[in-house]
Amino acid sequence: MQWFDALVQGILLGGMYAQYALGMALMFGVMRIVNISHGDLVILLSLIGISIATAWGLGPLPVLVVLVPLAVLMGWVLQKAVLNRVVGSDPLPSLIATFGLSIALQNLMLQIWSANSRSLPGHGIESQSLEIGGIYVGLLPLIVLAVATGLTWCLDLTLKRTRFGRALRAASADVEAAAMTGINPRAVYAMATAAAVGILGFAAVFQALRSTVAPADGPAQLIYAFEAVIIGGMGTVWGAFVGSMVLGISQAIGFRIDPGFGVLAGHIVFLAVLASRPQGLFGKALS
Amino acid sequence: MSAIPYAATEVPEVLVQRQTPSGRIAMALAVLAMIGVAVMPLWASTGTIRSVLVLCCYIAVAQMWNLLAGYAGLVSVGQHAFMGAAGYALFVLAQTYGVDPFVAVFLSLLVPAALAVPIYLLLHRLDGPYFSIGTWVVAEVFRLTASNLPLVNSGAGMSLRVMKDYSAFERNIAMSLLCAGMLLVTLGGSYWLLRSRFGLALIAMRDNPVAAASQGVNVVRLRFLIYVASAVGCGLVGAIYFMAQLRITPGSAFDPMWANVAIFIVMVGGIGSIEGVLIGSLIFFIADRWFGEYGATYFVVLGLMTLLVALYARTGVWGLISKRWDAPWFPIQRKLVDSYR
Amino acid sequence: MTAVLSTHGLVARYGDFQALYGVDIELHQGEAVALIGANGAGKSTLLRSIMGLLPVGREMVLLHGEPVGGTATDRMVQKGVAIVPEGRRLFTGMSVEDNLRVAIDQAARMGAKGGWTLPRLHRLFPILKEKARAPVQSLSGGQQQMVAIGRALLCQPRVLLCDEISLGLAPKVIREIYAALPEIRATGTAMIVVEQDVGLARSASDRLYCMLEGRVTLTGRSAEITREQIGKAYFGAGHAVV
Repeated sequence: MQWFDALVQGILLGGMYAQYALGMALMFGVMRIVNISHGDLVILLSLIGISIATAWGLGPLPVLVVLVPLAVLMGWVLQKAVLNRVVGSDPLPSLIATFGLSIALQNLMLQIWSANSRSLPGHGIESQSLEIGGIYVGLLPLIVLAVATGLTWCLDLTLKRTRFGRALRAASADVEAAAMTGINPRAVYAMATAAAVGILGFAAVFQALRSTVAPADGPAQLIYAFEAVIIGGMGTVWGAFVGSMVLGISQAIGFRIDPGFGVLAGHIVFLAVLASRPQGLFGKALS
Repeated sequence: MSAIPYAATEVPEVLVQRQTPSGRIAMALAVLAMIGVAVMPLWASTGTIRSVLVLCCYIAVAQMWNLLAGYAGLVSVGQHAFMGAAGYALFVLAQTYGVDPFVAVFLSLLVPAALAVPIYLLLHRLDGPYFSIGTWVVAEVFRLTASNLPLVNSGAGMSLRVMKDYSAFERNIAMSLLCAGMLLVTLGGSYWLLRSRFGLALIAMRDNPVAAASQGVNVVRLRFLIYVASAVGCGLVGAIYFMAQLRITPGSAFDPMWANVAIFIVMVGGIGSIEGVLIGSLIFFIADRWFGEYGATYFVVLGLMTLLVALYARTGVWGLISKRWDAPWFPIQRKLVDSYR
Repeated sequence: MTAVLSTHGLVARYGDFQALYGVDIELHQGEAVALIGANGAGKSTLLRSIMGLLPVGREMVLLHGEPVGGTATDRMVQKGVAIVPEGRRLFTGMSVEDNLRVAIDQAARMGAKGGWTLPRLHRLFPILKEKARAPVQSLSGGQQQMVAIGRALLCQPRVLLCDEISLGLAPKVIREIYAALPEIRATGTAMIVVEQDVGLARSASDRLYCMLEGRVTLTGRSAEITREQIGKAYFGAGHAVV
């Protein structure tokens, strides 16, 4: 029963990680860029959310309504001001630019909000739980998982069925050919990053509700998102989702073995996948 | 293709010129500086020696990162993994197993070398930017492992108490010699490598890996060798740095600050050149002394500077200088000169 | 009569390597012009320069008299110039229909008007309807070429640039594809066809330009130029100028 409980908790934790991983999978898939400040943006949005909630006395839902459009805007500005200048076949400029941004953001947050951990008041939602099949499951983690599933489903449908999705996939397959078909790659990139950071708006609210956030927490979130994407298999949205579940389960089981072993267990599973199935659990092997 | 009438012509006699006046001056200064570092106990206080040691560590780590990112195209953000690994190896050998610490410094380099091989074999499967995040994960794995490993006293860290057997003066002599040796190995070694026949391959690879491969450069093998060499170089820095610190903990051993420092120095100074590393190290060292007290604000500025360099001045300060004056300090190019001059 | 598309002293380079040395060509309404020349003569470079894929001076390319050199590729498509690129460059991982839909989407976004619709394309190349759901990389070379042509047509171009559409295809398939060109021209679309096969190029065009080492060495009406003239211009024996 203890292990079954760990499994369930791991899946619920995976719901949180999926919300980080989706945006990273999207950005890498389209532009071959990894935004090193990915995790710092989550934390920045969380801290802004907490400040808004405190200042205006808002509940979690209104904070979400404010934060997601703000996140979309931040993503769009990030692409226009920074990433459009560094996108290309050489990974160095984009890595260095977002690395610098990450350092600047972390320290800026440190100045504004101090190093303290904070969390978003959930007005009781964070302490409610349901009993399912003999184990207690928190209501909030269930909501997180449901939202993660919904986001993955929406993103998958958007990619498959909409004009924007087709333009994204075309730009991802061959950016020059996409331009020859009338697509403005920079406009598509800006929308992709806006969507990716927009999803982080959800992640920010749930992260701040579920646990605490501090300015230095960003890199850990970046690493979890990255591990989820690689475990699941690069290039597919559902791959990132399942990768997040695997990572969450690994950490939850590791934590049961020894509290100091939780995060490390996730890393070890990541390295094991990299050693045995480098294309990821869902990725297609290169022929 | 049109056929051009080909008359048998004599190969003109040329000399390959590899040194320049600016290069000779810089080389003389570099040798003097290295001697100056080696004999520090004769002219410097313990405090100055510590400062110079830190500066030397910056230069060495930055050059190792430069070798990786600037030539091999491997952008690592986790080289501190090897610094910490060698640092811990030194402490375990000297403190736990009683090996002479000055022998242990060199023995400890086997650990980053041995770790770098499987790590590279794993990480090179990751595509471009994902490789970078992978190196970071490895550094985290090392930190968490050290935090859980009783052999290294877990999260509490270790102290190098055996150094008490030596007087402060003896320690200063040793640290000065090690510092000079570290510069010789990392900077001198890189310079030698770049001027050797590998150098041409490395420069070709930096400019265009695909074209270099088609010209017979074994890019895969060269990248692997550079990765291992850089790991050993970072290990040497780690061993010397933590020997001077006398204390090591998982947090200090695997501190991402080193990655920040290396990236800032190389990008601001100028990637793909030894001159850039020296300029960047001096800028960072002075900035750290003058503005370090401003804490977070200072790091915001450093971060933004790195961002701006990546956006607008990819070649850094040295790139701007060398565009105006053709006076390399460490010339690595080969110039053909007419021998009948 | 002003040309639909013209280049004037077009110079283009890849880094240090100069590929075009002052190329002047003209394309008129409803006309098909062939571009012939050996490998490396600069034919593809010329098309890429027109499409804004290489940096060129603004006045070097005129579209309906308007200087458009160096305009971004997607803006050129919006202005009514489409290309069937060398090597087809289809969107792998997407179905045939999605490949075509990308062009339909963008034409709709830009409000481009023209006669090309999916049903009409299916009449031109019936196989594309049959294979609509198939991943594009599973198609044969000829079928892929049809997708590439279809994708360019659905951009509703007034000028269509075709880069080596017969390359690597069986003769029967080549005939099938070239048989579609008259219908495309019938819509008033002007075409530049880059072609290695000189016979094919002559039969499919009104006029032709022959290029050698980044320059135009011969131009004239396709039906009137002799094989000897082409031979000289193609291989550069002496200086053949008409």
